[in-house]
Amino acid sequence: MTDEQFEKFLETVLKRQAPVDDAAVDRVLKRLKPLPRQKPPLWRLPSVLLNWEFAPAWPRMAALACCAALGFGLGIAGFDRPFDRLGAPYGIGNPDIGSIVSEPDSLTGERP
Amino acid sequence: MDDSDEALMARVARGDERAFQLLSRRHLPAAIGLARRILRNSADAEDVAQEAFIRVWTHAPRWQPVAQFRTWLTRVVVNLCLDRKRRAPWVELEAAGEIVDPTPGAGEKAEMDERARMLTAAIDKLPPRQRSAIVLTYGEGMTNAHVAEVLDTSVSAVETLLVRGKQNLRRALGDMIDKDE
Repeated sequence: MTDEQFEKFLETVLKRQAPVDDAAVDRVLKRLKPLPRQKPPLWRLPSVLLNWEFAPAWPRMAALACCAALGFGLGIAGFDRPFDRLGAPYGIGNPDIGSIVSEPDSLTGERP
Repeated sequence: MDDSDEALMARVARGDERAFQLLSRRHLPAAIGLARRILRNSADAEDVAQEAFIRVWTHAPRWQPVAQFRTWLTRVVVNLCLDRKRRAPWVELEAAGEIVDPTPGAGEKAEMDERARMLTAAIDKLPPRQRSAIVLTYGEGMTNAHVAEVLDTSVSAVETLLVRGKQNLRRALGDMIDKDE
C-alpha cells in the first residue's frame, strides 16, 4: 500500500462514522442545566480592590483607642499591688532565699 | 444582531443563557463527533462534550478572542478526551464472531470492516498526541497549521507527529498492508 493509498484508507476509516443525531445533542443540552456559576474575569480584580470601602468606622476606632489607653494605664499603674504600697519601690516580698534548696532526686535502680 | 461565535461568546461572558444555547446548538454536534472519533464510545463522547461546554460557560468571562472559538473548543475537547483516555485506558474487547452474509459484495464489506477495526485498534494504541494529530488531520480534515494551533505546538511538530503516527500504524498493521502489495 503506497503512502497515498494508506492516507486515503485512514481518511475513509476515520470519517466512516454515524452522524451525530439531534437526540445526542438534546441529551447533552439537557444535562447542561442548571448552569454553574461563571468564573469572574481576572481583569476585574483590580477594580474590585479599588472600589473596596477602606474608610474605618470612627466610633469603633475611638472605642478601640480608649480600651488600648485604659489597658496601658492599668498596666503601668500596676493594680496587682495594695493601695498603701503604691508609692513603694518594687522589691521581693521575702528576701530570704536561703530557704530555696535544690534537692536532686536520689538515684534509683542498680548500677551494673 | 451579530450571531458570530465571538459575539455570542461576548454575550455568554455577560451571563446570557440564550446565547449559550445558540452556541451549544451550533457546536455540540462537531464536539460530540470529534470526541467519538477519539474515544470511540458514544456515552463517553457525550460526557466529554458536556464537560467541554460547562467549561465554555464558566470560562466565558475570562475568554480572550486571540484564537477562533472553534479552535479553542476543539482544543478543550481534545484535552478532555486525552485526560479521559489517560484515566481509563482502552480495554480491547474480544472480537465477536462474525455471521457470514450471503449477499453479493458482503465478503468485501466484511473484509473492509475487519480492516477498519484493525486500523482503529491500532490508532487507539498510538501515543496520545500522535493519535490526536491523526484524528484531527484525517478524521476532521484540518490543515497542519490548524492542528498545530489546537495542539498548541508548531507545524513542524505536527508533521513529525503525523509521520511517526503513520509509521507506527504501518508497523502495527504490517501483515494487512503487505497482503495488499
